[in-house]
Amino acid sequence: MSSLASPEQGWWKPFPRHEKAWLTIIIIAAVVLSAITLGWAVMGKQNVPVASYKATPEQFEKQVADFTAKYQIPGSPGEVRVPEGQDGFMMASMWSFTPALHLKSGKPYTIWLSAKDVLHGFSITGQNLNITAAPGHAYGIRITPDKPGTYLIVCNEYCGLGHQGMTGKIIVE
Amino acid sequence: MAVAERVPYDYQHEFRTDSLLGLKIHLPAQTLFLANAVAAVLALAAAGAYAFLMGFTRVPAISLLSSNADGFGRVFTGHGVSALILWPIFFEVAALIFVSTILLGARIYSKKLGWLAFISMVIGGLLLESSILWGQADVGFTAYVPLVAHPVFYVGYIIFAAGALLAIANFALSLAQARADGVLKGSLPLVTYGGATAAILATVAIASGLVALVPTYLWTVGVFPSVDPIFYRTWFWGLGHTLQYVNVSAMIVAWYALAALTFKANPINEKYGRIAFTLYIFFTVPVLGHHFLVDPSLSPAVKIVGGSLFGFGLGIPSLMHGLAILGSVEIAGRRLGATGRFGWFRKIPWGEPGMATLMVSMALFAIGGWTGTIGTTEQLNLITHNTMWVPGHLHAVVVAGTTLSFMGLSYYLVPLVARRQLFSQGMARIQPYLYGAGLLIMMITMGWAGLIGVPRRVADISYAGASPDWFLPMNLLGIGIVLAILGGIFYVLNIVLTLVHGKKFQ
Repeated sequence: MSSLASPEQGWWKPFPRHEKAWLTIIIIAAVVLSAITLGWAVMGKQNVPVASYKATPEQFEKQVADFTAKYQIPGSPGEVRVPEGQDGFMMASMWSFTPALHLKSGKPYTIWLSAKDVLHGFSITGQNLNITAAPGHAYGIRITPDKPGTYLIVCNEYCGLGHQGMTGKIIVE
Repeated sequence: MAVAERVPYDYQHEFRTDSLLGLKIHLPAQTLFLANAVAAVLALAAAGAYAFLMGFTRVPAISLLSSNADGFGRVFTGHGVSALILWPIFFEVAALIFVSTILLGARIYSKKLGWLAFISMVIGGLLLESSILWGQADVGFTAYVPLVAHPVFYVGYIIFAAGALLAIANFALSLAQARADGVLKGSLPLVTYGGATAAILATVAIASGLVALVPTYLWTVGVFPSVDPIFYRTWFWGLGHTLQYVNVSAMIVAWYALAALTFKANPINEKYGRIAFTLYIFFTVPVLGHHFLVDPSLSPAVKIVGGSLFGFGLGIPSLMHGLAILGSVEIAGRRLGATGRFGWFRKIPWGEPGMATLMVSMALFAIGGWTGTIGTTEQLNLITHNTMWVPGHLHAVVVAGTTLSFMGLSYYLVPLVARRQLFSQGMARIQPYLYGAGLLIMMITMGWAGLIGVPRRVADISYAGASPDWFLPMNLLGIGIVLAILGGIFYVLNIVLTLVHGKKFQ
């Protein structure tokens, strides 16, 4: 029998011993991986954000503007201190993330993220959190910062000429 | 009254008998095969040229094109289009022609259809390349709307896709005709069955791509006011993701063929490989979900079931094929007198280019399967999404796996069909190891860079010195790029010189 020629009639035979054993092993592996993924989604601490709502770029821009006007840090334009227990808002647009957010270490926050123009990627460097910012959708990221410092946000979805300079900031106090 | 008797047309003069394998080769199929193979190799050469410019831009110590303004957008778009669309599809069309006609001793269904398909694909490819080189399509091969390229770019995509669909139709009709002519008796050979799997997946992929690209084209010329980014992304990945499993199926066809051609190694159970091929059709399409694991648009249930769980399922057929092929090599080794548990390993003809590509391709593809499984796991994708981990995975599966296996197969098919000896056996012997070593270094350094957060698709990662630890892996990546590009040059040069200068034989 050759892979390059038609097989002789009657090739539909039971799997040989080793093939059967191997198939069993890989099916078990797939089932175990599936169980871990499902289990982690229910019980794990770090999961993909699930909260989202639909908002046109105009609607979301207004939310960001209202939020910025209300909580802006005096003397630091474009920097906002998110009050404890309140949600933060951030807009990704060509080619920046605005505003910069100040958060308190150890407190839980939800940051709503959307995009004004094209798809952008939201990546907090050194933290390995990478999600998509899409126009028309606001995505709620739940984070509890645990170490003070300034965190750089870079865009990791190609978004045109200024892509490599597209950054933002989260400052944890 | 005399009734004119219908005399069947005699096709025998359209055939020649090959002296290497004794195949009956249909001459029109032979010319079409060569045309598609040459176009594939030229597309690969273009992909390599873009790879050079892109690779040495990403290596911070070199920073060849340090910003998008220098043309980085053109380079990475060109690399994606040439390496992920043009090269594999042209080669796959050549391979489909081979397994449906030359291998069976059958004739091609329609010369005209074959050439119409080929010319459409060439025109589409040229429109794509020229719009990219003119700087009118700095959008990546994914071209996510509302990023916008010149309408010619989308027209190029659409014409190329239409041509590929015609080629697939010709493949299916050729098989039906082989059956009707009586040259194909019994079941399809395993490699033809695998080719049919690839053809079915390709039809799904291309149809899905047209759903994304036709409205987008109409948007760029002002017929539609807008195209929803999520709609585009979903249908685009119906193309982009499914196409990767066209590549995988074709790669596995190449693996089976290489094992049989170079070592007379054939799987002991025909059913095993066929069921594995069929499983690809079942598992592939939902797994486009894994491109949306961190999107705001889908529910977690859809992400986990479609992206992650079906993604794990996709590993099953690949691992089945892996066992079937390695097992066949072991049996062939034992036939040559190998003893002990691993004695057969020493019987493997490591200096035979086809066997070398088979073993290197399988080993590196296995690593790519592992990095892909990590990427398709919902929670882990949160870490790796759009980082260098992704190109690290892609280069393992599409380059070290698919591309290398296609290279290996062409070392046999091109001389067989062109009736010329391979220009340099020595170059072909070293090439798989050189290319494989380069790619292994690339996979490791890209994976490392991805895990510490280096984003993909940027010309410059300095961000005012924000992440100094990003530079080491990205600089080491350069070593891998040098070796891989040398390996690529060895291949392209060898095939081109074979076609131009190779010693003729009958």
